[in-house]
Amino acid sequence: MKGLLLKDLYVLTRQMRVFLLFIVVFSVIPGSNMTVFAVVYAAMMPYTALAYDERSHWEQMAGMMPYSTRQIVVSKYILGWIFTVCAAVVAAVAGVIETRFGLNGSSPLIAGLSLCVGIIMMDITLPPMFRLGVEKGRMFFIILMVLAACSSATLVSGIVESSATSTLVPLMTLALPVGAIVLTAISIPLSVKCYEKHLS
Amino acid sequence: MAGNAIELKNVSRSFGDFALKGVNLTLPQGCILGLVGENGAGKSTTIRLIMNTLRRDFGSISVLGQDNTSPAFQSLKEDIGVVLDEAYFPEVLNIKQVERVMVNTYRRWDSETFAAYVKRFDLPWEKEFKDFSRGMKMKLAIAVALSHQPKLLILDEATSGLDPIVRDEILDIFADFTRDETHSILISSHILSDLEKICDYVAFLHKGKLLFCEEKDALLEEYGIFVGTTDQADSLRPEALLGRQASGYGGVRALVRRSEMPAGFPVEHASIEDIILFLVKGEAKA
Repeated sequence: MKGLLLKDLYVLTRQMRVFLLFIVVFSVIPGSNMTVFAVVYAAMMPYTALAYDERSHWEQMAGMMPYSTRQIVVSKYILGWIFTVCAAVVAAVAGVIETRFGLNGSSPLIAGLSLCVGIIMMDITLPPMFRLGVEKGRMFFIILMVLAACSSATLVSGIVESSATSTLVPLMTLALPVGAIVLTAISIPLSVKCYEKHLS
Repeated sequence: MAGNAIELKNVSRSFGDFALKGVNLTLPQGCILGLVGENGAGKSTTIRLIMNTLRRDFGSISVLGQDNTSPAFQSLKEDIGVVLDEAYFPEVLNIKQVERVMVNTYRRWDSETFAAYVKRFDLPWEKEFKDFSRGMKMKLAIAVALSHQPKLLILDEATSGLDPIVRDEILDIFADFTRDETHSILISSHILSDLEKICDYVAFLHKGKLLFCEEKDALLEEYGIFVGTTDQADSLRPEALLGRQASGYGGVRALVRRSEMPAGFPVEHASIEDIILFLVKGEAKA
């Protein structure tokens, strides 16, 4: 699977330099909305990698190699986790530094919750991407991304700006990580089935 | 006794407008099997079925002694080098990066062998794949397929797009590969002269049906070309006459079965190309 990840990293770092720079910039801009935006942006990397795979017909090549369908699918999830974790860590570190300088820096809690949102979005959108292909899955993906990004940004910032004693804070800090774990456990086998269906 | 590298028994797969029907095909270990057929005959479908990247509707397929639907087949792919009709590497990768990916893909990847093929094929290490010519792309795919110590090569139109000199060199590499009696090759190609040069067996797919899968020498021994008059051709028994075409000036050129020909009728050598073309198109009466 390391070969698959390496291939995707080579392609993305070569093709998506500006995109990656945007993620870093959004991560360090003060404000929780930007943090969510940066992590959600980072969560889009697996789709970009899938699009490049389709363009070069890599899936046919990978099918001939000693990779199982599961490994091919899981590699895309891992790729997404790598980028979302990096974006969340950059945002958290930048937020701590910005807060020390009196700016409205994003808190590590926001970065952590944003990470969960990014993972949940991947969990929801990757199965249809694997089933329909990136071209056909794009509309589904765009609609969901816009809805989820707007609502989650508002929700997360609303939670933090509200009273610390609000019941929503502990609820969300518990619900989002649990949701991310549960949905990932459902999404991966579903994506494997979808990808097998797509290939056959 | 050596077994079969590939064995297809009664394999079928149907799509909306095309079906591969009841294909029986055997590649003995240590041999080269040429898979012939027009565009859309089912060659690539057969290869995808063999590699289990396409689900079959019926039949069984074993590769290197292993059922290709078994979990063990995944690791058996280490022993199979595949070259598809196009080299499907991401276009921004260069050869150095392709090699790093392959080092982390195949357990028995041999960097020295790969470097030797890159040098032999005169490929650039730093140039991006999108700037390669078709010939360069195919050479890279062949270099990759040969560099992880495979026992079986599956080549789908691997020599198309190559100039005759390079093609000849690559055919020599393939022939060398099967000097080890545990090595085998399945090669599909439109260039029938290439197949005639290196193959031990020839399989002919036509509209999703396998018309024959026979030893090349037996085919060349069995079939011949008869050139004569229309009256002579008309006098031949149906068992002898397999296909005929007008050859101009009232003459006939026909594919015949040597064993069924009457004495006194001269029979010339038939190439694989002659046999295939007559079987597909030779029904037309002269």
